[in-house]
Amino acid sequence: MNQILTYSVYGSAILVMLIGIYAVLTKKNLIKIVIGLSIMDSGFNLLLVALGYIKGGTAPIFSPAVAGKDVLMVDPVPQALVLTAIVIGFGVTAVALSLVIRLYRKHNTIKIDEIKTLKW
Amino acid sequence: MVANPILYIALPLFTAFLVPLLAKLWKPLVRIVPGLVLAYLAIMSVVLMQQVSPEKPIIAMIAGWKAPWGINLVFTSFSGFIASLISILAFFIWLYSFGFKKVEFDDAQKYFILFMLLTAGSIGVVLTGDIFNMFVFIEITSLSAYALTAFYKGRDGAEAAFKFLLIGSFSSIMLLLGIAILYTYTGTLNMAHLALLMPQVPMHAKITSFLLFFVALGIEAEMFPLNGWAPDAYSQAPGPIAASFAGILAKAGIYALIRVSYTIFDLGDHGGFELLLVMGLITMVVSELVAMRQENLRRMLAYSSMGQMGLIMIAFGLGTKEGIYAGLFIMFNHAVIKSLLFLASAYLVYYTSRKKISDLDGFGKLLPLTSLLFGLGAFAIVGLPPFSGFWSKLSLLIATANSHMEFVLATVLAVSVIEIIYYFRVLGRLYFRKAHKEIKVRKPTWNSVVTMIVLALVIIAVGVHPDFITGLLHNAATDLADKADYIQKIIPDLFSQTLN
Amino acid sequence: MNSLIILLFILGGGALLSYFAFLSKHAFGQAVVWLVAIASPVYFFTQVAVGESFSFSLGGFELALGFNHYSWVFALLIMVLSPLSLIYSTGYMKSRLRLGTFYFSFIFSIFGMMGILMSRDLVSLFIFWEIMTWASYLLVIYRGKDVEHTGIKYMIFSAVGAYSMFMAIVILNREMHSFDIATVIQNFGNMNAADQWLTGILLLIGFAVKSAVMPLHVWAPGAYTNTPTSFTAVFSGGLSKMGVYGIGLVLLNLYSHSDFSQVGIYLAWLGAITAVMATFRAVFQNDAKKLLAYSSVAQLGYIVAGIGLGTELSVFAGIYLAILHGAFKGTLFMAVGAVERQAGTTDMTKISGLIKNMPWTFFAALVAIIALAGIPPVGGFVGKWMLYEAAINSEHMFLVILIFISSTAAFLYSFRFLFGLFLGQQEEETAHIKEAPAVMVVPMILLSLFLVLMGTFPGIIFKPIAAGMAELGFQGVPWHMSVLYNMWGDSVNLTYVSITFGTVFLLGLVYITLIARKGTKHKLSTKDIHTAGEIPKPEDNLNYSLDFYKPFERVLSPLLKHKLDVYYNEFGKGLEALFNFMRRIYTGNGQTYALYVVVFLVALILLSGRIFGI
Repeated sequence: MNQILTYSVYGSAILVMLIGIYAVLTKKNLIKIVIGLSIMDSGFNLLLVALGYIKGGTAPIFSPAVAGKDVLMVDPVPQALVLTAIVIGFGVTAVALSLVIRLYRKHNTIKIDEIKTLKW
Repeated sequence: MVANPILYIALPLFTAFLVPLLAKLWKPLVRIVPGLVLAYLAIMSVVLMQQVSPEKPIIAMIAGWKAPWGINLVFTSFSGFIASLISILAFFIWLYSFGFKKVEFDDAQKYFILFMLLTAGSIGVVLTGDIFNMFVFIEITSLSAYALTAFYKGRDGAEAAFKFLLIGSFSSIMLLLGIAILYTYTGTLNMAHLALLMPQVPMHAKITSFLLFFVALGIEAEMFPLNGWAPDAYSQAPGPIAASFAGILAKAGIYALIRVSYTIFDLGDHGGFELLLVMGLITMVVSELVAMRQENLRRMLAYSSMGQMGLIMIAFGLGTKEGIYAGLFIMFNHAVIKSLLFLASAYLVYYTSRKKISDLDGFGKLLPLTSLLFGLGAFAIVGLPPFSGFWSKLSLLIATANSHMEFVLATVLAVSVIEIIYYFRVLGRLYFRKAHKEIKVRKPTWNSVVTMIVLALVIIAVGVHPDFITGLLHNAATDLADKADYIQKIIPDLFSQTLN
Repeated sequence: MNSLIILLFILGGGALLSYFAFLSKHAFGQAVVWLVAIASPVYFFTQVAVGESFSFSLGGFELALGFNHYSWVFALLIMVLSPLSLIYSTGYMKSRLRLGTFYFSFIFSIFGMMGILMSRDLVSLFIFWEIMTWASYLLVIYRGKDVEHTGIKYMIFSAVGAYSMFMAIVILNREMHSFDIATVIQNFGNMNAADQWLTGILLLIGFAVKSAVMPLHVWAPGAYTNTPTSFTAVFSGGLSKMGVYGIGLVLLNLYSHSDFSQVGIYLAWLGAITAVMATFRAVFQNDAKKLLAYSSVAQLGYIVAGIGLGTELSVFAGIYLAILHGAFKGTLFMAVGAVERQAGTTDMTKISGLIKNMPWTFFAALVAIIALAGIPPVGGFVGKWMLYEAAINSEHMFLVILIFISSTAAFLYSFRFLFGLFLGQQEEETAHIKEAPAVMVVPMILLSLFLVLMGTFPGIIFKPIAAGMAELGFQGVPWHMSVLYNMWGDSVNLTYVSITFGTVFLLGLVYITLIARKGTKHKLSTKDIHTAGEIPKPEDNLNYSLDFYKPFERVLSPLLKHKLDVYYNEFGKGLEALFNFMRRIYTGNGQTYALYVVVFLVALILLSGRIFGI
């Protein structure tokens, strides 16, 4: 039972990532591609948090309540990583959207296969 | 003077955020302060390079936490060499772009902020001893690179930047996945500690993680077929930024790739080096062949740049100390020479919107000095003596021959012939065609002339007397080749524990 | 300071100095060029000697310089020919643009050549080789004609040659752990056969490109023609000899003690075939410079044949012809340059009868042509004699036939050259042409006198060659100041031969000036004819040089139809098409690039078992 739960958590995170990758690789709309990137990011963040989870662990904060006791804590490092990744993902999405606006102004389209002035 | 590796990252980052405030005081400060900071870093590099030796790396701990718990910056002969190269080159690129966007103040402000971020990020990638920290710096570098690629509104910068971003996002996801896998099995993020614990990691996880790193960093290092972004970004970014892509960004990327394959994973002898070698070979061949048929000067230089990156990968893929030495030599030469080429070409194609090679006709007369410097750069990059490119090519070929790889040797040389053809075609146009009528010429400013001449002098000086640089290269190669030494210097306690 | 370094310094520094001097003032530049042209040979002949050496360490490599007797022979040629050509240039190149670049490249290529000859290790040899190559490339494209075709072709072939040499050098280093030529020669036998053959062939390719051996010769005619004529003299006369020097070094020195030396005979064959083909092409050229260019290729073919045969006499003949070819081809190119400068063209169908206008140039060209054709009393005779003898001795009869054919056919173009430019009826358009200035004439005359001297006393050049031969392993080659021996025991005393020919020549000269002069008094133009009642239009070209060997050409046309050049061009075009196709990998669609990334990762993971061998 526990096994299934663990795998389903991992599995769903990976599924979310795959959905993101699918969107990025097949959708022609630039906005949709950016959304795909975000989904990809979220899927990955889910996966990372899931990896760091320890069953029955508490929040990794040293408080007087846990001091001196042998308490299980979830690994804090993946959470820190995820926080950083979220911030970076946010930055990337912001830049991406601003680029989409610029592209739309210049090309009057947001179809990625119509924006191919630079090639070969 | 205060010389601490932390300043490499702290100072430019700080400056980047200080610039908008300084602008309120006096607008020219926006230009001057970054230069002062970069000059300080450049001088600091010289000082630190004299202190450092393979036996005595300089390790800086952030906030007093010892490795592997805290984040540390490791200035060894190898990483220090690349960091110094980047910081000195960044100073010269600043000098070149000192008068950039004289009129539009806002643009200039953006430019200098982003440039400082790019520099800080790249040096951070090189100096950090923590793998997640490296990821963060790569992201800083990439984000500023996206923005700089899209700097010109008139060009197709946005398109190039979007492609760059699209591929870059994949890079960051893969990098994080690779880090996550390593972390699950080792519970550490410190590179030395990771290297120490690597034997515990099961083979399949190690390989998957390595491949994720390989692809993610291969994107930054312009490996084929991951380099679709490169020609677009190089050709659309402002001239000095194209130079810093070649000299700074790509160098940081290849450094990370090398560090990961040499130090962290001990897969080199199990096929990791061969993979690097083969990918390098493919990258070089494809890029140089494609470069041959380019009509756009900047794209041609970009493909040539990718070809050189392939050459560097080949050198490191040999896995011998000679190969490392050659690879470092090519890195140095490529940084200097390609910067010179990009900087000179920025003036050659200043007023033509398409940047076509055919627009270069007769520029030898219109811009004699710039054309001459471009020609010198072309001679150097194809490896003709007495310029610096020759010595790196010689050392690469010796290393390849000594590894008994005749096929690689022949391919590298055959591709060099192609390189000669397309560079000399450009030179032929510069000097032996009649100029188009009513052509507008942009005379280079004094500061860019000084920059280009300094770079050219470096090329000639190293070409005539390579001993200026060989000592540093030897130290760097020794340093990289000895992985156990790296671990021992950073985490001596844990290292001795494992031994016992 | 070491005299070798000072010599290199004079040349290298002179090259840079002349560039900057021409930037400031023309007169300064001229002064620097003169200075180099005088200082370098004077220093060379007074201070530099065989046996001096200089070694230093650069970039972790131990480099060594120093002449041996073999390279000294070639150094003599370079140091005689190049300064004369430099002086000649100051007249020839007057009022041209970019003189700084011209003289820089000129002097720098001399620097490269001398460097090659004094290199005692393969790294410095390669460095100087590359310097010589790019300096001469700058001169090939100097006039801006046909840069994309001829210039690039020269550079491609040079690069292919240089890089195959490069490959051989690093492989040799792997086996020997040294770049020193002496060490390589010593330990060559210890190498395995595959490496011996690989490095040998690669080195030969490298040197054969410069000495224009078939099938690597296609760059030569175009490059020789496109170069400013004052440099062509050095290019064809001196620079191509670097290839000959190298072939000698490889075949006779490096590889003499291994099976590889059998390759020499194939090289000799290639050389002979080159000679025949190039000779026929030379015969049908309308342009005097182009004719000489093809003739150079042909002559180089002889020389390579001589060296390739590898017997004592043939090598001797090869080196002797190499030196001689330097002298006479130098003279001929100078003569053509003088005509080019004075008449504005070298097209033999446009000019004729320049003997009266340019008597000194004619004299120099005459002597040089006699040398080329191999008629006594000029040096060429001696060389041909030895080469024939060596070829007959070697029992490769077909080779002898080839050499015979080409040297006989050489008469055709020799005659045409002399007749086309200098003899025959003078056209009105060319009547105003004057003799070239003294700075151009004097070097030519000096060289042609040297040729006469070599015909009479070949010993003066036999002596250094014999010493050089000793270096190649042919000890004690017999030679005499002015007597030739052959294998059948006959001997020819060249002093008598020369005196006889000299007397006949003088008598002829007297006859022409006193008596035969009257015959040409009639003022007739070439246009002054009627053919079958038709009056030729003024624009018709009726110069007798037009279609000079028409019937002969008709006979040979099937042979000459196939130009190797065409195949190379087609090959190049094919490659470019392939590259164009490869460009399409970069489709311009960001999504495709992202797809590449994903596919690449998936492929790597799928293949990881194979890559990492689990």
